[in-house]
Order: sequence, then structure tokens, then C-alpha cells
Amino acid sequence: MQTHSMARLSAAAILALACCTAHAAPDPQRILAASDAVRNPSEPFTLNVTLTQYTDGKQTDSNALTAYSRINPASGQFRSLIRFAAPARDANKLMLKSGNDLWFFDPASKATIRISPQQRLLGQASNGDVVTVNFAQGYRAQVEAEEDVQDGERQMRRAYRLKLVQSVSDMTYHSIEMWIDTTDSRPVKARFFSESGKLLKTAFYRRFQQQLGALRPTEIVIIDGLNPNLVTVMRYADYVAREIPDAWFQSDFMARFQPE
Amino acid sequence: MMTRIGIACIALAGMAGVCHANDAEEAGLALADATPVQKVDDGKYQFSLEPGLRFATLRPGGTRTATRLSLDLTARHAFSNGWGISLADRLDLNGPWRFDGDSGAINTLKELYVDGRVGSGSTLLQAGRVNVRLGVATGYNPTDFFRDNAVRSVTSVDPASLRENRLGTVMLRGQQLWADGSVSALVAPRIADRATDASFSPDFGATNQRTRWMLQFSQRVISDLSPQFVIYDDGKPGSSPQFGVNLVHLVNNACVGYVEWSGGRGPSTLARALGQPYSDVAFRWKLATGATCTTSRNLSVTLEYDRDGAALDRAGWQALRNGPPAGYAAYRTLAAAQQDPTTRDGLFAMVRWQDAWIQRLDLSGFVRLNLADRSRLTWLEARYRFARTDVALQWQINAGASSTEYGALPQSNLFQLLVKHYL
Repeated sequence: MQTHSMARLSAAAILALACCTAHAAPDPQRILAASDAVRNPSEPFTLNVTLTQYTDGKQTDSNALTAYSRINPASGQFRSLIRFAAPARDANKLMLKSGNDLWFFDPASKATIRISPQQRLLGQASNGDVVTVNFAQGYRAQVEAEEDVQDGERQMRRAYRLKLVQSVSDMTYHSIEMWIDTTDSRPVKARFFSESGKLLKTAFYRRFQQQLGALRPTEIVIIDGLNPNLVTVMRYADYVAREIPDAWFQSDFMARFQPE
Repeated sequence: MMTRIGIACIALAGMAGVCHANDAEEAGLALADATPVQKVDDGKYQFSLEPGLRFATLRPGGTRTATRLSLDLTARHAFSNGWGISLADRLDLNGPWRFDGDSGAINTLKELYVDGRVGSGSTLLQAGRVNVRLGVATGYNPTDFFRDNAVRSVTSVDPASLRENRLGTVMLRGQQLWADGSVSALVAPRIADRATDASFSPDFGATNQRTRWMLQFSQRVISDLSPQFVIYDDGKPGSSPQFGVNLVHLVNNACVGYVEWSGGRGPSTLARALGQPYSDVAFRWKLATGATCTTSRNLSVTLEYDRDGAALDRAGWQALRNGPPAGYAAYRTLAAAQQDPTTRDGLFAMVRWQDAWIQRLDLSGFVRLNLADRSRLTWLEARYRFARTDVALQWQINAGASSTEYGALPQSNLFQLLVKHYL
């Protein structure tokens, strides 16, 4: 009798739990963090990035760079040291981004200059577009809908539509609308907005490949919100996990940096 | 328009639970589909050729044309374990048409050093000729102590060009880094007695005429404030060690403010120029402070105030201009070699606009105003960037009364057309 009662109670508890789990609203911050983990390795790493920029369907600029990224234990956000590789006039120039601390180093003039977040070094791409960012550390997320969305490969995917609002001051964009696949947490598409609500950019995450132990996007297509004829194609390649000392992420190191 | 499309898409999504890409997004994705793989050079060396044509209007009258070809090489060979050897060299060849005083060829051995990391990578060593450049200001750098006598060939008065085309100093340098700061020490030994104009000389006499040393320390204080402190001794007669501070602060999303200061006991520039370095030793300080703001269209404006406590004030400058020409010439020559202001107070304003109106077109310019004699230097540049070639047109205007800082220069206007090709 006692055993039966216990069994009935346990079954009821499991059912109640299953029922609650089935109807519990998904935790938007967890969805966002899972999507960050798809985009970014958690260990320090380097990768090569190429940017191809188009205006009115014609290629107008191209850049190549190598990013050295590592999570800052104090903020949970990435710090990045970016080395420009192409075009030839920009080879070996460096950009350091640690929150709002942005520095530029020119090996020709040996000048290490602090720049403001508004200053762009890469044509139409903002500096924040090329560095590694954990959105969950900089934005407060809210699930707005679960819907089908067309991804960058023109496939329909079931996705959460999240509304992200800046929660720390050093994020590049004030708010973001982001679609994240409900099954594997891959980022599908994002829209980036200014404080006044103006659409600044639309991004598609595509060409997912195995990189550093996970299926990660290796191409982001960015379409300008103010002028849709401006398109930037960012490609990521050669992810390598490597030891990057914390000490590298300061302006005094930039003049001493040597690529390996 | 795009915003409206976006809103429509979201509204549609709300009703039907489906969001398709719009036409602009489809077009962007189609461009990405067709984007070829970009080939990237390995970056082990950079070589550029820069032919230039210069045209000057002279004081009191006349014109002069000059041609120039500059070759610039930067190369690095890496050994194992983060060690390597680096070379940077520039050769300026002046054509048969040239300005008075220009030699046929001037080679500038900018850098030649071995460097590497010790242990975990936080201890760095460097030995050889190194171009050490400190300072956060734009127009004048009081803490850029190794600028003295470093420029062999002036091809442009643009501050960036003057920093780029200069000799490094032979030194042994070590740096220890930690998470939010660093300390470094260097010693630059005496190697030669005097500078030389010989075309292909490494000119150690210009940079290593006496033993010099420098200590540098920086530490992050709060989230975005990392002051840098410097102690430097130039070993010159009459000079004591000089202290320096560099401070930068992000004012808001668009503006960066900066202060660069140095100070210490030493003679005035005039006393040194006249060969009397012990005659007026006192505590003197130098300052450059200003701000750079960038608009949403990527146009950056810099305003800066410069002060050199070792330079002549308004009365002293007026007296020197009216005095013996030999003293005036010696003072101007020394101030130019040290890259110090001629008079105590000056203003500097600079504008840089990347991708101005059309992509790849950069416009820039600056004005230096001498507050003692009201003379001014104006420099304007339009530069268009092709894939591997820059084409630039520069215009320099030296304005002011005779014997003023800029009015005394032999050229009143200088136009320069440059074509820089990166191989």
C-alpha cells in the first residue's frame, strides 16, 4: 500500500514537472548564451577574417585580418587584438579592443593612438563588427516569438526571435533583434538598431562548419540598414586554440607585438 | 525604406509566424554567394615605391620644380620561440631637378633589431636600432624623447610622415608586462661623435651621440584610465633627468581627450643653441593637450594646445628676430632638429576624413598657428586609394611676416603630387 502510494506520488510529481517544463517559458538569457557558445570558442583563440565590401553590387574594398581573442575574466566579455594583413598599405597595423578601450597602432609611425568607439577603421564595417563579442554579457534578452525564419542558405528554420537591449555601456549597438534556432542554438539572423530605433544593419550567419569542437558560422553577410546597397561579407577561417597572455591586451604591448 | 521593410517583415511574422528575407537581403546574400576567396600575402615584408613631383613658389619671388623617388622596405624574419630580426629602411632619391640643399640620395636606416620573448611571453627584449616613439598627442609630443636629430630627409611636414621617416636609436631594451600594466627600461650607448649628411651613412652620430636611458611605467587605474609615466636622461650638458606623463580619457562615444606633459631641469633652447648650456638652467615643462572627436561620417577633428617652456616667449622671440642673424639661425636650426616649437605657445588643428564623399577618397589637413608671431603653416591633402596604389596631392602654405616662424621659410607654397605603389 505504502509502495503504491509512493509510486503514485512520484508519477504525479514527474507528470507535474513534465507539464510545467513543457509550458515553461524558455530562458532568453540562456538561449542567447548558448548561441554565443556556437559563435565563439570559450578558450583563447586566433582566427583569420576577410572582409569584402560591395557598393551597388560592385566590390569597392577588401580587408584581411587576424584576430587574437580571449575572455576577460573580470567582465566575461572578449578582449581582441586585431592585426591587419591586407591591403598592403595596412599590413601589420593593429587594433586593440577591450570594452570601450580602443587603440590603434601604426607600425610605420610607431604611433599608438586611442580612438573613440565612433571612429571606423574598416570602411563601412564598424570596429565592433570584427571583434568577438558575447552578446549575453552585454545585452538583456527577451523572447518575442517562436517562428519560422529564412536563414542565409535560404532554408526555413524554427527560431526564437529575441529582443536584446544593451545592459552595459560599451556595446556597439543599442538593441538587437536576433533569431536563434530552437534545436541547436545556432544564430540565424540579426538586426542591429541605434538608440533612436533606426535599423543600422542586418546580418545573416551562414556556412556553418566544424571549428574548434563545434559547428560554427564561418560567414556573416552584413547588409546596411540605411543604404541596403552597401553589403559586407565577413569570412572566418583557421580557428586555432592558443595561449594568449592577458598582458597582450594593453596599449603598451602593441608596439612589441610580432605575428607568429 | 529598409526600416519599413523590416517592420513589415516583423508584422507579417506576427500574423503568420514566418519571416522571409526581403529583396535587399536576397541581393546581399546573392553577392555573398558569388564572393571569391580572398588571397592574402604572408606579410613578411612590405616594399613601396613613391615617385613625387614638387612645385614651389619661393620668397621673395620665383618658382622651383623638383622630382623625387622614395623606396621603402620593411621586413621581418622569424626565428623560433618568438624571436626574430626586423629591418626598416628608406631611400630618398632626388632627381636632377631638386631644391637647394637637397642631396642626390639620402638613406634612412630606420630600424634593424633582434627581439624576442623570454619565459611565458611576458618578458620582452630588444637589441639594435629601434624607433621608440612615446606620446599621445597629435601635433607635438613632449615625451617623444627620441625624436632629437632623427629626421634625415623631410618629404612632408605631416606629423605622421615625420614620425615614420626617421632614424631609430641603437639601444638595449627590456619590458616586463602584467595583466594591466608594464614597466620597461632601455639604455642607448654613445657610438659616434657627430651626425653626418653622407648619403648612405647609418648616421649613428645623429641618434647615439651620448649615452641615454629611459624608464617607463604604466598601470591601469580604473576601467579606461592607464596613465604612463616616463623618466628620461639625455646626457646633454646642463640637463637633469626629465619626467613625462601621458594620459588619455574617453570623453564620450565620439571624443577622446589627452594630456602629454614633460618637465625637468635644463637650459633653454636658446642657451643650448648659443653653446651656453649652463647659463640659465631651471625647471622647465612642455605640454600638449587636446581632444579628437569623430562624427558619424568618420570625420575626425583634433584641436590641440602646445607649450614648450624651453622655447622663447613673445618678447624673447621678437628680440631674437631683431638681433644678430647668426643667433637667429642657430636657434632655428636647433629647434628644427629637436622637432620642438620655435616659440612658447602654439595651436594645432587637424581634420581627417576617411572615405570623404566617395569611398577610398581621404581628405586631411592641419594648421599650426604660432601665437607669438601669428605666422601659420597650413597643409592639405587629398588621397585616393586604389587596390595597391595611393595617389595624393598635397598643398603646403607657409604664411607670415618676414623672420616669423613660417614666414621665414624659403617656400611660400609647396605643391606635391605623389604616387605610392605597394609591391
